[in-house]
Amino acid sequence: MLHIPFGLRAKLVLLSCFLFAIPWLGYQYVWEMEKYLRIGQERTLVGTARALATALHERPKLFDEQASFLESVVKGRDLYAYPIDEAIQLDGQLTDWDDYAQHTLHYAEDHLIEGKRTYDRSQYQRNTLHFNHMVGKYGRYLYAFFEVTDDNVVYRAANSLRLERNDHLKIALLNPEGQFRHYVITNKKPGWLDSYLLNEVSNSPLLAKPEPRIQGKWLQTSKGYNVEIRLPLSMLGTKIGFAITDIDDKLYRKQGVTIGTSDITDHNKLGTVLVPSPEIERIIKGMGHTSYRLWVVDQHQRVLAQTGDIRSSGNIWELPSDNPKNPQTLWQKFEKTVLLPLYYKILTRPTENFLDELYDAGRLEGAQITSALNGKQKSQWRLTADKRAVILSAAYPIWIDNKVMGAVIAEETTNGIKSLRNKALEKLFNIILAVMTLGTLALFLFASRISSRIRKLRNETEQAIDEQGKIKNILKGSKTRDEIGDLSRTFASIVGRLGQYTHYLENMSSRLSHELRTPVAVVRSSLENLAMQPLNDDAKVYMERAQEGITRLNKIITNMSEATRLEQTLQNADKEAFDLMEVLRGCVEGYQYAYPEVKFKLDLSTTPLNVNGAPEYIAQLLDKLVNNAVEFSLPDQPITITAIKDKDTAMFSISNTGPALPEEMKDRIFDSMVSLRPQVQQKQPHLGIGLYIARLIAEFHQGKISAENWAEASSGKSGVVVIVSVPLLGELV
Amino acid sequence: MSRTIAIVEDEVAIRENYADVMRKQGYEVQTFANRPEALAAFKQRLPDLAIIDIGLEDEIDGGFSLCQSLRAMSDTIPIIFLTARDNDFDTVCGLRMGADDYLTKDISLPHLTARIAALFRRLDVMDHPVSEDNLLTSGKLTIDTNRMTIHWDKQAIEITVTEFWMVYALAKHAGHVKSREQLMQESKIVVDDSTITSHIKRIRKKFLQLDPLFTCIDTVYGMGYRWNEPL
Repeated sequence: MLHIPFGLRAKLVLLSCFLFAIPWLGYQYVWEMEKYLRIGQERTLVGTARALATALHERPKLFDEQASFLESVVKGRDLYAYPIDEAIQLDGQLTDWDDYAQHTLHYAEDHLIEGKRTYDRSQYQRNTLHFNHMVGKYGRYLYAFFEVTDDNVVYRAANSLRLERNDHLKIALLNPEGQFRHYVITNKKPGWLDSYLLNEVSNSPLLAKPEPRIQGKWLQTSKGYNVEIRLPLSMLGTKIGFAITDIDDKLYRKQGVTIGTSDITDHNKLGTVLVPSPEIERIIKGMGHTSYRLWVVDQHQRVLAQTGDIRSSGNIWELPSDNPKNPQTLWQKFEKTVLLPLYYKILTRPTENFLDELYDAGRLEGAQITSALNGKQKSQWRLTADKRAVILSAAYPIWIDNKVMGAVIAEETTNGIKSLRNKALEKLFNIILAVMTLGTLALFLFASRISSRIRKLRNETEQAIDEQGKIKNILKGSKTRDEIGDLSRTFASIVGRLGQYTHYLENMSSRLSHELRTPVAVVRSSLENLAMQPLNDDAKVYMERAQEGITRLNKIITNMSEATRLEQTLQNADKEAFDLMEVLRGCVEGYQYAYPEVKFKLDLSTTPLNVNGAPEYIAQLLDKLVNNAVEFSLPDQPITITAIKDKDTAMFSISNTGPALPEEMKDRIFDSMVSLRPQVQQKQPHLGIGLYIARLIAEFHQGKISAENWAEASSGKSGVVVIVSVPLLGELV
Repeated sequence: MSRTIAIVEDEVAIRENYADVMRKQGYEVQTFANRPEALAAFKQRLPDLAIIDIGLEDEIDGGFSLCQSLRAMSDTIPIIFLTARDNDFDTVCGLRMGADDYLTKDISLPHLTARIAALFRRLDVMDHPVSEDNLLTSGKLTIDTNRMTIHWDKQAIEITVTEFWMVYALAKHAGHVKSREQLMQESKIVVDDSTITSHIKRIRKKFLQLDPLFTCIDTVYGMGYRWNEPL
């Protein structure tokens, strides 16, 4: 299984992820704040709407003129004069009206007036007559256009007095005085309009008077003709109707099809016209210098007045800018160039370039308006069509005589709040970044400190005890008064105690031998004293045995303390440079004398191997190894001694044929008191000190000693080889 | 008049065993179990030879201080340390205190008595003139077997009995290798190999103090030591 090291530092860094809760909380908080700000904005806006409505309450005059008294308004019949922004050129071309194309109404068979009587509706042929129409208001004039489709345009005959025996446009209106008036526009040719006021009593064309106040142009088109007219608002009361009559029969010029906005013959059936009220507009204009958009609508949701631009930036929510355009300080530069672009990847900057949906001023729609017209104030949020801004809309009813006569609608974008929120978030992000950076850094440093202390402690602990379990260094307990310090002190005390114990164990053999020496000396001196007495033969045998025993005991004691003595000696021993080869050769020569029955095979390097150390100890080491090899060697098998130079170490090995070492004992045979000799072989006492001494000497020379089993497949022989490697002395002069 | 040997040893059995042997050899023996007793007696009358154990009852190094006191009283009195402590440190320490020999308790009685006899003989012959017969000369080395003294380049070397016997054994057959066992026999001790090595090291150091170029004692690895005739 794969174990990925998962250190304290990694863990703490992971834990520090909880720091990310801070920005989340901050973000939530700002959102919450925005929510309250929105509620505040809603209240303010409703307040604004109410203030305006209050100004309009109980002022029936403002509404009387309008068609507000109607129970209902019919689209097509009751007209709405859309406010027109630019003057309309009276040229018959309809390009001026393009901006208002959506308000154009289409009149066709549903609006048949005359034709209904003369022939069946089914006889109406579409291509005979239908038209598009719209009315607008600019300045003190009411403008209207008629885009008539007529397959056969019939003009008034040049000499005809009759006004209605050709294609004509009739206008019926109630003037401000409440008088019912009929006008007819009946051209002899395209061009400036010929308009007449018809006499109320007689239909005679002779009694008709030209009406110069109605101006406009007749333009023949490929489909039919266009009529563009304007008339001063002063002519107009609250009702107006338009009707176009199509005469196709040039010869008889009998009654053709008439299509109109309303029945113009009866003033009760006449449609109304709503012209945005200049009075109301004046009242609300004063409130237009804000970021609100204000509407006043009548009960038919038709706009009476409007002011303000929702896109204007003079928002009351906007703070005085504390962010200079030209960053001065380094921090501001950094914030502007690095941080802000980063933040605005998440945040949206409120834009004034949103596209709001287009309104039909003739009929404003919305739940809030409906609610207000039912007498209940209401506000509502909505997204703009392009989803780039949120608009808050509040409506408040206008009361006249306990009757809702209209409503005030105030609208505002949430841009101000968004800017506020963005400002808050910018600041929050700055703080969060700082806190998180510092926090993470602090945690990381803290974790590094802790883990480095723990690692240090681990390393110290590891180094305190060597492979053989000996105490090398005494741990120094940390003085820090925390858990790690405690742990360190505990380790120090454990290692200290272990050291004492190890020391006790190490010295046990020497102490034991020291303690045994005195009683042995007692026995020995007693035996020797006894031996000086004349003894009988029987006693002599026992005496000999006793002396032999005591000699062996003495030898054991000497051996036991040998290692300790050697260790003490090594501590004070001086090192000198010497040629290892010389020592090896000399020793082997000696061994051949010492063990005449054993054959030694030499494979020695010819170049001198200079090492730093004590030659007599190396000799002692060799004595121990050769002694061992001879003891374990099979009879008549040579003992091979090799020495080579391996890079910067001198390696020599003593190899014998004989029983193999058990695998698990390979490393342990160099420990103190470990012996592999079978009991039967022990003619001499063996305490497992020899190889331990060899190791001590090898270590004194900064060398290593190891034992390996070997097997030779060709001869079927096997045995053990002990390899000692000692670092060579650097360039010896 | 028989010679007086003082044995200072806290272990009764050993003390009495040694005392018995000494008495059989014809010496007069005084035994003490601790330092104050011994010192009080020495102040009254000095023995001819003292055998001192290092650890005396409750004094771990009582033997050392006793040796110092004794040496202060007399420059010539032979002092032998006989102790269970066999480490190099104590050996060097003991010899520095002015002891004539440092022996461990596993020494056999014959070996001990031989040393005592040798020391006494050395005392005896101090007064006699040097007789040429007893001199062994090899290069700068002069060994007086009678007085058991060694001179290098006519300068006397302070040497213990054991060391004397070793040098004598080596120099007697200059050029021949003496194994450790042989040296042990000659110097009448039974010790382990590393102790012999220590002895040889100490002997070398003593010669080197007089003559930094001393190389006569040669280690023959694996066999033993050899006295080289200086060229």
